[in-house]
Amino acid sequence: MSTGYFTIVKKGDHMMGRFSAMASPCELLMETQDPLLANYLTSLAYKETKRIEQKFSRYLPNNPMANINHSMGKAVAIDAETFRLLEFANSCFELSDSMFDMTSGVLRQAWKFDGSDNVPPPEAVQALMPYIGWKKVKYNQSSITLIKGMELDFGGIGKEYAVDCVANMCTEYAPKTSVVVNFGGDIQVTRARHNSQPWYIGVESPEDDDKNTTHTLKIISGGLATSGDARRYLLKDGKRYSHILNPKTGYPIEKVSRSVTLAAPHCIQAGLLATLALLKGSDAEVFLEQQDVKFWCYR
Amino acid sequence: MQLIYKNALTNKMRKTANVNAALAAATCTLLGTSAVVQADEGVWEMDAALLYYGETERVTAVEGVFSAKKDFGDEHLFSTKITADSLTGASASGAVAQPNAQTYTRPSGKGQYVVATGEVPLDDTFHDTRAQLESQWTQPLWNDMRGSTGVHLSKEYDYLSIAVNGSFAKDFNQKNTTVSAGLSLAYDTIDPEGGRPVAFSEMVIDEGQFANEEAYQAAFDATRQTGTDDKTTVDLMFGMTQIINRRMLMQFNYGLSMSDGYHTDPFKVLSVVNDQGLTQSLVHEDRPTERTRHNFYWQTKYALDVGVADVSYRYATDDWDVSSHTIDSRFRFNLSDITYIQPHFRYYQQSAAEFYQPFLIEGTTLPTFATADYRLGEMTAYTLGIKYGMKMPSGNEWAFRLEYYQQDPKNAGFDEPGALKQLDLYPSVKAVIAQVSYSF
Repeated sequence: MSTGYFTIVKKGDHMMGRFSAMASPCELLMETQDPLLANYLTSLAYKETKRIEQKFSRYLPNNPMANINHSMGKAVAIDAETFRLLEFANSCFELSDSMFDMTSGVLRQAWKFDGSDNVPPPEAVQALMPYIGWKKVKYNQSSITLIKGMELDFGGIGKEYAVDCVANMCTEYAPKTSVVVNFGGDIQVTRARHNSQPWYIGVESPEDDDKNTTHTLKIISGGLATSGDARRYLLKDGKRYSHILNPKTGYPIEKVSRSVTLAAPHCIQAGLLATLALLKGSDAEVFLEQQDVKFWCYR
Repeated sequence: MQLIYKNALTNKMRKTANVNAALAAATCTLLGTSAVVQADEGVWEMDAALLYYGETERVTAVEGVFSAKKDFGDEHLFSTKITADSLTGASASGAVAQPNAQTYTRPSGKGQYVVATGEVPLDDTFHDTRAQLESQWTQPLWNDMRGSTGVHLSKEYDYLSIAVNGSFAKDFNQKNTTVSAGLSLAYDTIDPEGGRPVAFSEMVIDEGQFANEEAYQAAFDATRQTGTDDKTTVDLMFGMTQIINRRMLMQFNYGLSMSDGYHTDPFKVLSVVNDQGLTQSLVHEDRPTERTRHNFYWQTKYALDVGVADVSYRYATDDWDVSSHTIDSRFRFNLSDITYIQPHFRYYQQSAAEFYQPFLIEGTTLPTFATADYRLGEMTAYTLGIKYGMKMPSGNEWAFRLEYYQQDPKNAGFDEPGALKQLDLYPSVKAVIAQVSYSF
């Protein structure tokens, strides 16, 4: 079955819905034999994912995100969902000792992580530092104000948030059907399968510098997410510059893990914890050990 | 509110360095799920079924089952089941057919029934209503262990059974292997209408020899023990489940069951026949007070592209010398995405208990124990059935099951004197089972 936007195929004892969004392959595995249910769930997922992408992508013109990022210092009205995401980002900022910072996206104007050796000159990085700092962002339930030149970037949480939103919708519509929502390795399983079997999911993880290996993970329910710099880095004079940037210095985090995969009750929780671990640099494993979670850390 | 909340988060982080707990709370706020209840709180899954069981000319049973299951999250499971059934009709008394009509006293002592020439004596007063309730709670314990505990109550007019159980299961080998051990304790009490018969006492039949009703009642009462009797059963179970590959699962169980107490069926008798095979009297049966059973069970489930095959074998043996083999197989064939058909075949074979005998011979030594209950005799049985299931778009499911069951008792090597040779002492029992169930 194909609708042009998404496809549904039968896969043995379950059905798979597929589409592409947020620059990522998006996949739903549904423990059902009913094509109507599979079609409906996938269409819900497609619409919800596109809705979130349209609203929060920083690459689209004229969306709420563009209005905020091009506000030139003026207050911009926000809705309840945006407020909840800002609050979440604020919690992450506090929990990370100011290392998780949604305003650090402007550093991309200097840093282009294309695998080349184009490390920006220090002046270019320094010139951007005045526009970084979560504490400079003023927001309340109805509006947000950014200093002229500052930008918000929901890239670090958007995909995981979409996964959780889609999983919630699936749970609401089909509470008895086990659904895996997998957006390029950011995963949420809505509930355990009826046959008590785990879902087997292939996840890419870097084994060495050149090749990425697919590992099969077994997941019964809950969330799973991966953060890493697998393909986005610079290499100069034998030094690897990760795309994980320190908002306090404007430079990449030193000794960052190649990839962190982590299981938590919710995908976004797993994703953020993985990101916070990367921001710890060489202390990632120590940090993760303290969190009492199941994780896979590659260096 | 919001500010206090944030401060609490930050303090917690500084004290325990457990960012995850704070992040979990922030996630719940973001996603609109409650941190207390967690997002994975399940819904009640319910099943209702109505079953009809009808033996030709014998017992008819109607059974209603309602079961409900809920996942309270993190593998905390509660399940409960209520069963009510009603049995009516006639069941074999244990006595043998005769070339003449036979008159029997009902087990209650009140009234008589007559069995026609050549017919297997059936006690026509067989009726009962039974209600059962069982509940089970399962949850994870430490170190990949799961614990489960439950209660079981069953009440019939003259019978009460109370049981408690507990079990542990532990996963190994990345949850591919599960090993379990369980214990169940049951306590049953019986108080049959008319009292429990005295072992080997002769059935009192009023054929006009009594002066009055009191004289008959006095003679009947002399064959009865008053009060209740009981039985305790201890069951031990050890199991292993192994996932062989993505499609195949195998299970092995060993069960040890030890029961102590009243095992006799108060409604069963034996015919005492002379060397012509003619019944001289009827005596009440008696069984040992202890029984130890072992059973070994193997099951394999295999998932194919078109359905699921499920085959099992059970071997059971006990110190009454009853040994049995059961082969049970089901094959679920998916007709479409939402419908399936499932043929069922079961074969059962059993050897007789050491104290089983179809009748007693007049003038021979009375055995220590004896029963003529065909259920403890040699037999084979088979079931042939088919089930059809269909899933609604809502995920609810209807299922219809129709089965034929036949039980063929066999002569376990007993000579049949005189008239008995001409009679069918081991008639087959044939039954039809129909069931409708709905899962929602």
